[in-house]
Amino acid sequence: MLINAVVIVLREVLEASLIMSLFLAYSQHVTVSRLSLLFGIVLGGLFAWAYAVHISTVSNWFDGVGQEVINAGLQLAIYFVLLGFITQALIGVSRPIERITLISLMVLGIVLASIREGSEIVLFITGFSSAPDLLQPVLIGSAIGAGIGISVGVCIYYLLVTMSFKNSVRVGYVLTLLIAAAMISQVVQQLIQADWIVSEYPLWDTSNWINERSITGQLLYALIGYEATPTPIQVTAYFSAIAMIVFVSFYQISRKTK
Amino acid sequence: MRSIRTYLLLALLAIITLVTFVSLLKGYQSSITKAQQLFDDRLKNIAGIIANANQDTQPRTAGVFKLSPGVFFQIWSDDFMLLAHSNNAPLTQLFDIDNDSAFNNINFSGYRWRSYTLQDTTLNRWIIVGERDDIRYTLAENVVLASIIPIVLAIPVAALIIWVAIGLGLKPLRELSEQLNNKQADDLSPVVLRETPKELTQLVTTTNALLDRLNAAFLREQQFSTDAAHELRTPISALKVQVHNLQTAHKVNDQEIESLALGIDRMGHVIEQILALYRHSPDQPLMKRAPLDLCAICQHVIAKHYDQIALKQQQISMVGEEKCVIKANKFALETLLDNVILNASKYTPDCSEIRIGIFQNNQSVKLVIEDSGPGIEAHDYDRVFERFYRGKGDQHDSGTIGCGLGLAIVKHIVAIHHADIVLDRCADLGGLKIVITFPKQVKLTS
Repeated sequence: MLINAVVIVLREVLEASLIMSLFLAYSQHVTVSRLSLLFGIVLGGLFAWAYAVHISTVSNWFDGVGQEVINAGLQLAIYFVLLGFITQALIGVSRPIERITLISLMVLGIVLASIREGSEIVLFITGFSSAPDLLQPVLIGSAIGAGIGISVGVCIYYLLVTMSFKNSVRVGYVLTLLIAAAMISQVVQQLIQADWIVSEYPLWDTSNWINERSITGQLLYALIGYEATPTPIQVTAYFSAIAMIVFVSFYQISRKTK
Repeated sequence: MRSIRTYLLLALLAIITLVTFVSLLKGYQSSITKAQQLFDDRLKNIAGIIANANQDTQPRTAGVFKLSPGVFFQIWSDDFMLLAHSNNAPLTQLFDIDNDSAFNNINFSGYRWRSYTLQDTTLNRWIIVGERDDIRYTLAENVVLASIIPIVLAIPVAALIIWVAIGLGLKPLRELSEQLNNKQADDLSPVVLRETPKELTQLVTTTNALLDRLNAAFLREQQFSTDAAHELRTPISALKVQVHNLQTAHKVNDQEIESLALGIDRMGHVIEQILALYRHSPDQPLMKRAPLDLCAICQHVIAKHYDQIALKQQQISMVGEEKCVIKANKFALETLLDNVILNASKYTPDCSEIRIGIFQNNQSVKLVIEDSGPGIEAHDYDRVFERFYRGKGDQHDSGTIGCGLGLAIVKHIVAIHHADIVLDRCADLGGLKIVITFPKQVKLTS
């Protein structure tokens, strides 16, 4: 049970902490108050709790696949927030309206990530409240998973802030790109689970090389959306998501240089 | 990086947590595997004990062996007759004779079981023993968890210890920073730390060398200033005496002698002003400050220059508080008042009015000097504080001795005292209005 708790909590915490570390690192360059980002975490946490409490109602929506559809919606929203964040960062924040837009996107991204990942953790842990024998390994496993996830986020944050600005922007851009694409891959996964997208045979199976449930597998899942057995539509969606961000970035850069 | 302490704490804690928890997981998996091996060995031993303890070769007609719900056994004859079994064992055969593996995972009664099959060749029997998988796993996990929990709980304790340790490590840096921050403006003594770590030795040595050089430079300049004042004042005083003697003893009193006397006065004034400007430069650290009554000093300065003011039949008045204490340098404050009051007198016509006001509130003391003279054009308000700048340039029409340093000196003294000066047109008298605001609480540091 401990391993299950580690895997589930690590997966959720890692995703959220990567997004937060990216935003926090970027906030150094646009002098955003850390309080506004902290506000996003607290607000997201409260929404996550409310979402988890009303999960039975939510699950009944859309003919019983409400949870999958809402999760897919949250992840899609995170993708668009990341797309907007990259676009605004490329446009610049010289005008107050641009700065406000960027800060709003960062706070919204943190709120959405906290809801999505936080609700999963709350649901998982509260699910064991009626099984006291299993609660201890679940809590210990959750602490270990959260500890690893937060530690990776802290390491990436300090890696970004101690780099030169140029390198920090480059690495930050690639990370944002990969995390955003991973979100789209998960959207497809959720919609397959909801039977909104037809399930197909996987394109490949790399579970013998890197198991999805291993620490490495979880790290890669959060970082690049690693799936050991992805379906063709997942792969297509993943690369389309990357292509869209790259296209928007080039468009903004070409507009700026004109 | 906003704080070295936070950076070190978070970075160290993240690395320690990451390495510890990943190792913990590896250790957990290895321990669980090891525990499973131990349980398997135990199962094998149980099968051996049953084989020795039970000699049944015919099916037992009455009674079954009562065991705990997590363990079962069956004894089968070679021709697949159930000879004996525990109360929780099914009556069906739970082993495959063709299976070479002694250990197997089987399912019955809604649980997964780990079983071991022993062939009793002496009595031609098959003994099958099994344990519930979930109970085995929970037991193994509880044993491993007992060793994991203290490590997980140690992380917050480690965070606290790291926080304190980093704080202690950074103490010399904090001490250095506090010493530099708390240094008085005139304190150029070397920085002395109780213990100077190797990493800070160079910084402390360089800072002290810099302070030492700065102190020497200021002392040198002060010496130069004193020498220059003495060396320049003496010949000018001698020249003044000579001119006076020329005028009185030789009864010479023509226009050229008058111009000579005026030129000597002007030279004397310029030298005094240049020396005052130097002495009150804002980067001059050797200036002692003490609580002073601005009203008393102001009265003293008015009295000092009253003859000159009376000569022009000017009316001077002082209004406001009776006592206003500010922390200031007496000589500097007198020089400031000398300049603003003499300026008001010099640059306003005969029979004009000069009004001085001193007011205070909880935060500040306000000195207001107003006159009924021509005032200064608004576009010149900033420029009059520049050295050697005189309104209307060399064509200044006041006809008084001046060199354009008075307000520059005033500005310097205002800066030294962290005060603020504003020029305006006096609505009442129509001339210049100077408002100098002194803060009551001044952090007198560099």
